[in-house]
Amino acid sequence: MKTRIEIGLLYSRSGSYALIGEACRTGALAAMDEINADPAQPFTLVPVERDPGGNIDLYAPMCEDILRGSGARHVIGCVTSWSRKEVIPVLERMGGTLWYAVPYEGFEASDHVAYTHACPNQHLLPLLDWAMPAYGRRAYLVGSNYIWGWEMNRLARARVAAAGGEVLGERYLPIGDTDVARMIDEIRATRPAFIHNALIGPSSYAFMAAMRRLADEDARFAPDRCPVLSCNMTECELPAMGDDAAGLIAAGPYFRGAGGWPGRDGFGSSHEAAAHAAVHQLAGLLAGAPARASAPLADLLQAPLPAGCAIDPQTHHTTLPVLIAQVKDGAFRVLSRQAAVAGDPYLAQDRGQPRPALRVVS
Amino acid sequence: MSGRLQVPPLGGARALIVHRPHVVVQALGRQLTAIGLKVDTAWPEAGAAALSADFVFYDADMGHDGQFPWAPGAGPVPMIALIGSEAPGRIEWALRMGADAQLLKPVGDGGAYSALLIARVAFEARQRLAAEVAGLKARIDARQTVVHAVVLLMGQGRDESTAFDHLRQLAMRWRVSFEAAAERVVAQLDPQEADHGRRRSR
Repeated sequence: MKTRIEIGLLYSRSGSYALIGEACRTGALAAMDEINADPAQPFTLVPVERDPGGNIDLYAPMCEDILRGSGARHVIGCVTSWSRKEVIPVLERMGGTLWYAVPYEGFEASDHVAYTHACPNQHLLPLLDWAMPAYGRRAYLVGSNYIWGWEMNRLARARVAAAGGEVLGERYLPIGDTDVARMIDEIRATRPAFIHNALIGPSSYAFMAAMRRLADEDARFAPDRCPVLSCNMTECELPAMGDDAAGLIAAGPYFRGAGGWPGRDGFGSSHEAAAHAAVHQLAGLLAGAPARASAPLADLLQAPLPAGCAIDPQTHHTTLPVLIAQVKDGAFRVLSRQAAVAGDPYLAQDRGQPRPALRVVS
Repeated sequence: MSGRLQVPPLGGARALIVHRPHVVVQALGRQLTAIGLKVDTAWPEAGAAALSADFVFYDADMGHDGQFPWAPGAGPVPMIALIGSEAPGRIEWALRMGADAQLLKPVGDGGAYSALLIARVAFEARQRLAAEVAGLKARIDARQTVVHAVVLLMGQGRDESTAFDHLRQLAMRWRVSFEAAAERVVAQLDPQEADHGRRRSR
């Protein structure tokens, strides 16, 4: 009889960002099934699931409920940074660990969180450094009205300015709001070279639909001349946008069919892949000893680390490939691929834009 | 800051917490009440209550411009930022609102007392500097008036140095600042000022 290890699952299956929650949940459950089917593992993983339904005020109590009401010490969950920041105090108080499998804006390195998706040196900065030489340096920024949108656009503004570019406008919508008319009016008036889109959920779907209508009216706003860039769009949200997503350019550690992901391939999206990896990384850190499941993350990450552990013991961030891909015929096609890079949540290693080497002029 | 810390009287002081309903508000309110403050909460607008508060604690995570009944950075009370997200953009906003001190979220059993004292000292330093800068600015603005007054006094047959001395003596006699004396001289002697009916016969 194998030892049962309870694992918390805390994803919203309804609400503004349900598609992402579902993708992560699919990845995490698939990984649990694989581990449970592995005769070499001395334990089985049992999900203990709570669904906050997109209600921010339910994350902390539901996380506490998992940690208090079950044996689970590890919770795979949270999509928005807002919800992650809500559960961290609970994790600190109760000695739990959150496995966070979604791209985020950085500037955090909790002792109680393992970050298995990308932060800005792995998505936004390489994306802008790639896009500005290709399309120009006149940017328009949109985002959802919370920390993800604010901080991503602040970083984009700084990167564009450092490259000698210009930000023509910056607008925010409350999560769930779809009134994008003012953004579109300003884009029409200012004619940017590209748009950085840090909107989430229905706001983003409405924005992409409105951009498509604008491009139909005026070809100068078509994706080949004025692309929309995103660090949070993956395949899991393409069904919500249909043809409106055509031409969208996104950065991420994985795109379906692109290969290069450690372990198996064939995930629906990087959200699914990162949640799947989270469960496997956790299982690897338990190293066949079920009792280790109640140890703090910092203890699990003490050397020697198991082969294949990509989580940095100092930052708790993950070394990930950097891919840039564009939506074509309903799927992402890779445009650029960089070798795996360590997560640098405080951008302490960033030296700004690569500068042209000085030449000796005689 | 120099010298010893003057502990302000905190008993009965009023603290306003500008934060959405949350455990942070409870934890901070408990600390403040234990210290002896009266605690009010407000969200999203700080409202007029902020004007009569002795300390304002404000959320740096969800806070936005226009929450306070004063211009950003011009708070008339010590301001303490409640910081959850340490993203630079949020810290920048908290600073723009005029943070005199900070308290990290989640708020537990401590931190409020040191934040109150540090905020009080930083606020007083901020006020003192603002008053000093305003005084210096007023003197710089008055430079043209001083030159004007000296020129008018020279018009009465004095050389520059004598005119300057005369203006200084007038200031002493009227018991006003040099700049204020210059203003009076201009008002009395300048024919353009006379058009405004402010000229007095001597």
